[in-house]
Amino acid sequence: MQINYAKKEVSCKLVYYGPGMSGKTTNLEIIHEKVPNQNKGEMTSIATEGDRTLFFDFLPLDLGKVRGMSTKFQLYTVPGQVYYSSTRKLVLQGADGVIFVADSQAEKLAENIESLKDLEKNLDEYGLKLNEIPLVIQWNKRDLPSAMDVEELDKEVNWPGAATTEAVAAMGDGVLPTLKLAASIILDRLNSKEPGAETKTAKMSPEDKAKKEEVYVASVNADKISRGYFNQYCQAQYRLAAKSDEIDDFKKFSPEDKSKLLESLVNHVLLLQDAKSRNIGASPDEVEAQINAFSKRFNSSGDLDGYLAKRKLSMDNLRNEATKNVIIGKIIKDIIPDVKTKLHVSDSEIAEYYNANVNKFGGKDLEGVKAHVKAGLKNKRKKALLGAFFLKLRENAIIEVYKDKI
Amino acid sequence: MKDEHLRTKRLVYYTEDLGLVDKLLGEFLKLASAKSIYLVDKDGHLVTQKGHSQSINPETISALVAGSFAATKEMARVLGEAEFTVMFHQGKKDHIHISLVSERAITAIVFDDQTTVGMVNLYSKELTAKLGKIFDIASKRAVQKEQIEEDYSDSVKERLDDMFKD
Ligand SMILES: Nc1nc2c(ncn2[C@@H]2O[C@H](COP(=O)(O)OP(=O)(O)OP(=O)(O)O)[C@@H](O)[C@H]2O)c(=O)[nH]1
Ligand SMILES: [Mg+2]
Repeated sequence: MQINYAKKEVSCKLVYYGPGMSGKTTNLEIIHEKVPNQNKGEMTSIATEGDRTLFFDFLPLDLGKVRGMSTKFQLYTVPGQVYYSSTRKLVLQGADGVIFVADSQAEKLAENIESLKDLEKNLDEYGLKLNEIPLVIQWNKRDLPSAMDVEELDKEVNWPGAATTEAVAAMGDGVLPTLKLAASIILDRLNSKEPGAETKTAKMSPEDKAKKEEVYVASVNADKISRGYFNQYCQAQYRLAAKSDEIDDFKKFSPEDKSKLLESLVNHVLLLQDAKSRNIGASPDEVEAQINAFSKRFNSSGDLDGYLAKRKLSMDNLRNEATKNVIIGKIIKDIIPDVKTKLHVSDSEIAEYYNANVNKFGGKDLEGVKAHVKAGLKNKRKKALLGAFFLKLRENAIIEVYKDKI
Repeated sequence: MKDEHLRTKRLVYYTEDLGLVDKLLGEFLKLASAKSIYLVDKDGHLVTQKGHSQSINPETISALVAGSFAATKEMARVLGEAEFTVMFHQGKKDHIHISLVSERAITAIVFDDQTTVGMVNLYSKELTAKLGKIFDIASKRAVQKEQIEEDYSDSVKERLDDMFKD
C-alpha cells in the first residue's frame, strides 16, 4: 500500500490468485465492464495467443476523493498455470490483499489445493503468512454441474480459515461482492481495527440474488425470462449441440448468436405455455423413456455419466431436453391429428431428392443413402410444421425482448 | 499486533519529502532534455511524475515498469548477478530508461532524439544518488503528524457500495 500525503493519495494493491482457468481474468473483465467509466482505467493484459495469462492482467480503479484522499485500487491477476510460479511471486510483491479464485469443480480440487500451497510458499518469500494477509477465497464456477458443495470445499481447501464468497464469474455473479469483501478487510487493517470483525463468510444474500434476477431479457405473455436463466440456457444448448467433447467452460456468444438463442428460448417458453393450456404434460415415466432411448447410444450407464461430465452437462439439462421433446411430440399429435401421413416420405420423393442432389452423395447409389435421405426429409418437414406452429403461437402472444439486456 | 508487519510495510510519502523529490525530477528533465519521468515504487504504485506525455496512462506505465523490473531482477538472480540496475528500451521515436533508485523505488524516463542515452544515463545517475539519500533520511524519520482520518475506511466502503450499484 502506498500512502502519499503529498499527492493526497492512497493506493492499494489486490492480487487475484488461483489455479489455471479458474476465472481470475474473467473477474477483472467483469469489474471492468460493471464499474462506471469515471472510476476505471484501461485494462492491460499480458497474455498468450490463447488468452491464458502470461505475466499479469492489470486494472486500475479510482474511487475518487474520500475524506480528502484520492483512493485507488490496483487490481492484478497472476498466471495460474503451474510452471509460472516465479512470475506469480513477482506479481505478488507488495500485495495488500489476495483474492483466491478457486474452481469449484470436483475434478479441480487437487489443483486448487496445489495453487493455495503455492501462494503460501510465495508469500513466505516476502515474510507473509496465509492467515495474516487479507485473504478472500472465491468459490467460482458454481454453475457447473460437478461443482462441489461449498461446505465440502471449505473443509478441503480453506485451511487458512479465510472469508469466502460464491461466484459465477462468467455471468458476473458474485464478482463485485468478492472485491468489496476483500477491500473491506484491507481497509479495516488500515484504520487498525481488530481484524476478523467482518471476515465472516459472505454468501450471496437473498436480496443480492433477488436484485440479480430483476434483470430480464424478455417477457412472453407476462412470463419473464431472467438474464441468469437465459445465460444458463445458452450454455446448455451449446453443450448439447457440441460436435465433440472439446468444449469451453463458458462459451462466449456473439450478439447475433445471442439473439438467435433468445428467439429459441422464447419459442421454448411459448411451447410450454401452450402445452399447459392444452393440459399436456410430460410424466416422469415418459421423460425417463426419452432418456433411456438417448442412453442406448452408450454401452453402460457409466458411459452416459462420462459423456455428461465431459460436456459439463447435468442430468437436469438432459431431463429438460427430454421433457421438451416429449411435449413437442404430444403437441404435434394434438394439432396435427394426421401427423403420421403428413410426415410420411414416399419413395418417389426420396428418388427425386436424390436425383436433384446426386453430386452431394459422392457416387453412392440410391439404395445406400435411402435411409439417410428419408430421415433428413422427415426432419425438414417436421421443422416446417413446427415453424408454422410457432408462427401462429407468436401471432397470438405478447412478446417483449429487451435487446440491451442480453 | 498480528498485522504490525503489514502496517510497517506500507509505503508512506510525506509532503515534505516529496516536495524535494518533485523539484529534483523537474531539474533532471531540463538537464537531460528528457520528456517525462515517473517515480514508481517496486510494488507498482506511482509515487510522482513530472513532464508531459500525451497518451501514457501513468498508472498503467507504473504497473508495467515495476513488473518488467521485477522480471529483470529475477533474471539477474538466475544469472548470478546481484541486480541489474538499469534497463533501456529503444523505440522508433520514444525510448524508455528504467533504473533502480533505492531498495524501494524505480525511475522510468521517457525521452526522444532531443537527447541521447548517454546524457540520460549520466544525469539519472546523479538523480538516483540524490533520491536515494532523500529516501534514506525519510525512512529514519519518526512518524509525522500527517495521518489518515479516522473514519476513512468506512467512507471508502460506502464509496465502493455506490460504485458497485448495478
Ligand atoms: N462455467 C463457467 N465458466 C467460467 C466461470 N468463470 C470463468 N469461466 C470460464 O473459464 C475459462 C477461463 O477463465 P479465465 O478467467 O481466463 O481463467 P484464468 O484464471 O485467468 O486462467 P489463467 O490466466 O490461465 O490463470 C474461460 O473460458 C471463462 O469464460 C464460471 O463462473 N462458470
Ligand atoms: Mg488469466
